[in-house]
Amino acid sequence: MNNNKMISSPSERLSALSDSFKDVLKTGQRYVKLLDQLAETDDAREMLLATNELVKLDLHNAFIDFPQHYQAADYYLIFMGRLLEKHGIDAVQISENARHEFIARIEPIADSDSFKFTVDGSEAAFTEQGEQEPLFYLDLTNRFFQFNNEALVNYFIVHALQKHTDLELRDAVKPLIAFAEELQDDLDFTINLGILNTDNGEHFKLARPELDLTVIDRLFVATAENDYMLMNLPHNNGAELVLDQGIKLDIAFDPDDYSQQWFFAVKDPSSRVSFFDTLLHYHLIRKWYLDNRGELAVRSDKFVLAGNEEDTAAGDEISEQEYEQPTEVFTPNQEDGDEDNDEAK
Amino acid sequence: MANEEHENKAVDISSLIERQVSTKIKYLQELNQAVEAHQDRKIYQLLDNRRYAKEIEHREQQPNDQGVMSLVDDLADQLSNYLSVKLIKYLGQAYPFFYYGEYQTGHYRIYFGNWWDRREFGELDVLNVRFSFDQDEYNKLRQSFELARKNKRYNSDQIEKISSQNDHLQDLIDHQEAREKKRQQVEDQLEEINSRSGIFESSKNKENRQELVDQLQKLEDEEQEARTANKTIRENEKLVLALSKENTILSYEQKSITDVFGSFEDFELANRNLYANYLASLEGKNTEEKQVSDDEQ
Repeated sequence: MNNNKMISSPSERLSALSDSFKDVLKTGQRYVKLLDQLAETDDAREMLLATNELVKLDLHNAFIDFPQHYQAADYYLIFMGRLLEKHGIDAVQISENARHEFIARIEPIADSDSFKFTVDGSEAAFTEQGEQEPLFYLDLTNRFFQFNNEALVNYFIVHALQKHTDLELRDAVKPLIAFAEELQDDLDFTINLGILNTDNGEHFKLARPELDLTVIDRLFVATAENDYMLMNLPHNNGAELVLDQGIKLDIAFDPDDYSQQWFFAVKDPSSRVSFFDTLLHYHLIRKWYLDNRGELAVRSDKFVLAGNEEDTAAGDEISEQEYEQPTEVFTPNQEDGDEDNDEAK
Repeated sequence: MANEEHENKAVDISSLIERQVSTKIKYLQELNQAVEAHQDRKIYQLLDNRRYAKEIEHREQQPNDQGVMSLVDDLADQLSNYLSVKLIKYLGQAYPFFYYGEYQTGHYRIYFGNWWDRREFGELDVLNVRFSFDQDEYNKLRQSFELARKNKRYNSDQIEKISSQNDHLQDLIDHQEAREKKRQQVEDQLEEINSRSGIFESSKNKENRQELVDQLQKLEDEEQEARTANKTIRENEKLVLALSKENTILSYEQKSITDVFGSFEDFELANRNLYANYLASLEGKNTEEKQVSDDEQ
């Protein structure tokens, strides 16, 4: 497509037009092949390859106007739908709206909320349309997936819980976690489940470098109204809230760690409960966390590429970069009017 | 004659000394054996025979032989340390909510609970098998049990008082604007009255003016209070948190006692019977030890 060249003779112009058509037709053929592949294959790798090419394919051309086609955001969603379909998960319904965009609805909150990907470079964010909360990020080129802790709390805990029960929301989160796990199992993605991780050993670090102990005092005082007790940890390194069914929520720091990095950890007999679950199911924890969110906000550790962004070789180029600490020093007296303090991205 | 008498006396005395010394030796030997075999029950008997006879054998008025008991006075701390091992193990079962810290050999502080914030609750008197509770802390607990019957908590009244003070202060802050308007209004009225008052001011005018001056003063006082209100509110909130914490600690303590003993009265009863119950628990285990030591002899 040598549009910039100065072309003079009629035959040269015709050749140029013809060349341009050839390019476009080739692109068109490739496009059709990829669409078929994404629509029909049962192989996860082929789904990924097709999607990854489709989202990068540029159909814009000076001479040819392609008829109706979909946007990158749509292919991400179709890819998600196809992978879930392959694993027999039908809680996510994907349909086309009047503007020819694909949107997802998730059972059992399908009647109220819808979701769509928002694309920014090689990263697509699965975004709830009402609150515009990006619940997770997906990078097909570098093969990583991660939940956004701040958005999970904003959307599910603050917003959706007003209209839905905790059990409905727990069910709504399940297919999202399943999608992440399929990416990991089928396609070797690096995934970060964030506060949805149920491993007992998982630590959810607080964004603030320090924690005023009166924040824990407030939880202690709140427990007086119910059956749960807040215990001291053996090395005076924090507190443990003893819930029912053997579930315990720790807010603690490693006693051997000089920096005294505070974190949340959830322990339960079968490693099935996440920090998110405790926020969802226990009013005591939810109220305390949201009332003191500035102090208690959990970090959203974010994967970033270790080296050159152009280097798209494989997912193993990915490393977890240390989160940058907020620079302001927090003192208890500042707590009024200090509202810059949500889960740090 | 006198000499003979002296000799007789000397015989008496030397036999007395002999008797006394052998009693002491016997006592120390018994103690030594009991310590070697970790027969704590026997040790307790040797340390306080009168109490042992009364509470375990139900024999009243058995005297304590101070002459032998004082032999181990300087070993009190070591004996306490030695006896604490079994006692604290027993208490761990009987009073699962108490924790102990040995701050010097044989001296133990009691902590109530291992919750987020807990109270130091007195000391454990190992040699006498009894709790020596801190009376202030103990009375708080007793009172909160009494208040719980009326569905009240220890610091409720105080918290309520401070909270209503905070409501009042917040109200002052919220009405700053209205107050300013009112002040303007009163000042205008006052000016008007002043302009009307000649040399011969009517008493009515005078009255009105005084009233307005009083109003202004009241507004000024409120303004003054409002200026420091934010600081006071924050200090009050801290105070309320501290009082609420104490309430929470007391409610945890009540819950623990109720869970284990059923009521505060049953808890107190158990405390009174601790010596007998503890030694009885040792007796069961000691039969075996006793047989072994009998065989050895």
